[in-house]
Amino acid sequence: MRERKSAKFNLQEQQQQNGHLSPFKFAKLFDPDASWDKDQLGDVLHWIRQVVALVCGLLWGAIPLVGGIWIILFLVLSSGIVYGYYAVILKVDEEEFGGHAALLQEGLFASFSLFLLAWTLVYSLAHF
Amino acid sequence: MASTLFSHLKYSDSLTVVAISIFTAVVCEAISWLLIYRTSSYKSLKSTIDKASKKLETMKTPNGTSELTKKSKTKKIDRVETSLKESSRDLSLFKFKSGAVVAVVLFMVFGLLNTLFEGKPVAKLPFVPLRIVQKMSHRGLSGDDMTDCSMAFLYFLCSISIRTNLQKFLGFSPPRGAAGAGLFPMPDPKTS
Repeated sequence: MRERKSAKFNLQEQQQQNGHLSPFKFAKLFDPDASWDKDQLGDVLHWIRQVVALVCGLLWGAIPLVGGIWIILFLVLSSGIVYGYYAVILKVDEEEFGGHAALLQEGLFASFSLFLLAWTLVYSLAHF
Repeated sequence: MASTLFSHLKYSDSLTVVAISIFTAVVCEAISWLLIYRTSSYKSLKSTIDKASKKLETMKTPNGTSELTKKSKTKKIDRVETSLKESSRDLSLFKFKSGAVVAVVLFMVFGLLNTLFEGKPVAKLPFVPLRIVQKMSHRGLSGDDMTDCSMAFLYFLCSISIRTNLQKFLGFSPPRGAAGAGLFPMPDPKTS
């Protein structure tokens, strides 16, 4: 059985000055014992997706990789990375955060647009 | 402009579209900050929604209680949920009224780009889009090559990716608790 960690909601951390980010240490990103606020975890997953989208878009446009199949591959790859991060590295209990769907959809649409944009731009500028 | 600096590139116009999109996104967020985000009404609504969401999550955490306490707990949850929905609706309405100015700016920018690049492919897509997407990606272009990308589609991709991430970076994204509630929510069956 996979070990699961329950998240602890830290209400004190909600006294935020300008909205979205509490004081944050990078060590927490890989610490399975760290407690995660729902907003913090959502933000991290969002930015992971954006980075993956940008890297994939730049790389695939440069090679170039052509065809709709690479869109499917990107979606599978980025979702796999996000899932691997929160389930395997952080070992969070997804039920505490609204289930797998809620976590996997964080930043999905924006990352998909960013991927298409980067892929199209690099492909157009580098190969024509 | 990009077309002069990168004139040797066939699709250098795509850089112009991206640059204008970035500029427009910054201007729109500046307008939104001026009319929405710095106002006390927005700050208090956002704070209310955040607190109500957190309270709701804590209340929905199951623990061993008697049947009598469970009933009163359900009533309390309903009250908090109703209050959350009302606050979310108020927030949407507030942003909608101020968002009209942003909409005018976006409309004008789109019109300008349309004038500059109508009938001209600004990029090459590395895939053939779905038929329904081709209506936007091949808008105003001649020929049958569906990998030709029109300004409209590139601008759409820029708007979604750049504006969303800029809002996220600046902390202007809507609170997660308000995500489910819209401007015109369905009536709550429990209150009918």
